[in-house]
Amino acid sequence: MSSAEESGGWQLTESDPGVFTELLRRLGVPLIVDDLYSLDSESLALLQPLHALIFLFKWIPESASDSSSASSGAPDPEFPGFFAHQVVNNACATLAVLNALGNIPSLASGPELAELNSFTTGMDPQTRGLVITSADWLREAHNALSPPSAISLDELGLPKKSEDAYHFVVYLPFMGSVYELDGLKQHPVNHGPYPEAGEGWLQRARQVIEARIATYPPGALEFSLLALRDDPLPALQAQLTQLQSAGLDSEVAEIVARLANENSKRERWAFENSLRRHNHTGLAYGLLLALAKAGMLGKAKDEAKQVMKTRLEKRRERGEDMEED
Amino acid sequence: MSEYLLAFKAGRAFRNEGTNRVEPSATKGAIILTNGDDGLLHFIWKNRSTNQIEEDLILFPTDASFVKVSQATSGRVYVLKFSSSNQRHFFWLQDASDERDAKFVENLNGLLQDPEHTLDWSSDASSAQASTSQVPQATPEQLAQIQRIVQSMSGSTQPSAPELSLTDILTPDNLRPLFTSRPELIPALFPHLPPDLPLPPSTEVLERVIHSPQFRASVASFDQALRTGLLGGLVRGLGLPEEAGTSVEAFLRAIQEQADRGDSMETD
Repeated sequence: MSSAEESGGWQLTESDPGVFTELLRRLGVPLIVDDLYSLDSESLALLQPLHALIFLFKWIPESASDSSSASSGAPDPEFPGFFAHQVVNNACATLAVLNALGNIPSLASGPELAELNSFTTGMDPQTRGLVITSADWLREAHNALSPPSAISLDELGLPKKSEDAYHFVVYLPFMGSVYELDGLKQHPVNHGPYPEAGEGWLQRARQVIEARIATYPPGALEFSLLALRDDPLPALQAQLTQLQSAGLDSEVAEIVARLANENSKRERWAFENSLRRHNHTGLAYGLLLALAKAGMLGKAKDEAKQVMKTRLEKRRERGEDMEED
Repeated sequence: MSEYLLAFKAGRAFRNEGTNRVEPSATKGAIILTNGDDGLLHFIWKNRSTNQIEEDLILFPTDASFVKVSQATSGRVYVLKFSSSNQRHFFWLQDASDERDAKFVENLNGLLQDPEHTLDWSSDASSAQASTSQVPQATPEQLAQIQRIVQSMSGSTQPSAPELSLTDILTPDNLRPLFTSRPELIPALFPHLPPDLPLPPSTEVLERVIHSPQFRASVASFDQALRTGLLGGLVRGLGLPEEAGTSVEAFLRAIQEQADRGDSMETD
């Protein structure tokens, strides 16, 4: 299957919080995405209000023991919320985000997303997936952060890289239960009710996710967790003003530190997103020319040849590297 | 209830990260292909000692293929590969005799291409043994695909081993001396930076860019493209002769000549 047919014009994007957050901005949604390195209560509490967890892992569908065990929930064909099937490979990250957004009550969004949500109401998941992936504006928002190719690699017949097949699964609270929305599954999976008290839905979600991770042999699973949460900047700003007028200096200092943290993260995201949108061939050429003018290119070339020679020798010693493609 | 499409005895094999060799595991098992309750094609590996299902992969038609690992010493090692990802699962066939190996694999690949595919063989596990139809032949497309896979597994997709790579020249180690000893050459690079960077151009910003995975990926794909020898049109846009687009070597030679002449687009 050629990647062009399969991708339907959807390009490869990185699964990075900065990319997701930019996508949310383009959708007109006041949420951001952060990396989640731990599921412990303290880490989660810092990110509240937290609307959904996105579990992404290298494409290894769950083992049968996982789907048959008692803790893995029940498929819910009657799920009344928003659920779309993944019909295009490269769209899976964006689709996961939409599956989450569609089930967050009274969420503000841009007119296009609101229209798409209302237009697809009542459709079956497959049709919904098809409608979503044929929305031009959404594909443009998604593609906006994939690298441009000034060189059309397609025409050169190079081996193409398809998306490194990450699988995206969303966990979120819906009508009192924790649901798992996986665009590759027929139905949403209901993981049962959660207690309103304490951590609420996150407590149940943590159990489900930890149980799922435990079904894989150690080291066999490459995964990360992302948190879909309110943009904390407005709330922090408001808190800061309040504390300042109350003259609570130590609390002010803490909020200032958190704001500085958030802002430097945004700066990093903006920097990286700018690099993602840019074609760096011109810079590569410029750097080579500068090396040549400085009389440093010859030596660098000789060393690069040596590096390549050593690499090829090592590969031969290993009896041909199967990862090389 | 899910329906068995095909089953045969096979163990798993694992890639040893250190040596990059595939080593068969002695555990007895079976590969089972079923139409799951979800209507999707499942590729299952079952441990025959514990009867536990240890691997359950959902496959899309034409996405996966089951291919012999030609360099494996035992000769019965196969890899399940995906066209949509780099994911690989290794297996070795455990039927007492290897006579039917080819048939198992043909049937399996037939089903991986098209789950409706008619087989001449049904599973040990369901204890039915029927042989009603012909062994399916691989289509030319399948053969081409398999050849590509074998090629990519034999260690090189390039027609010949490359002599050098741009990725080994444009390293932070090579560029740092340039930044420190020849600062007058730096401003000419600024127009090549992304126009929407949140910071004004500077040597520090430039260093951040050359350390970034995005820049490195860009250099790697440019290097790949140059190796095809088909970039004549593109390099003309950089003020280089068309011949510079025929290989990495030619490209670097042309840049050196351009620098020696001092007539580059950068300084004019």
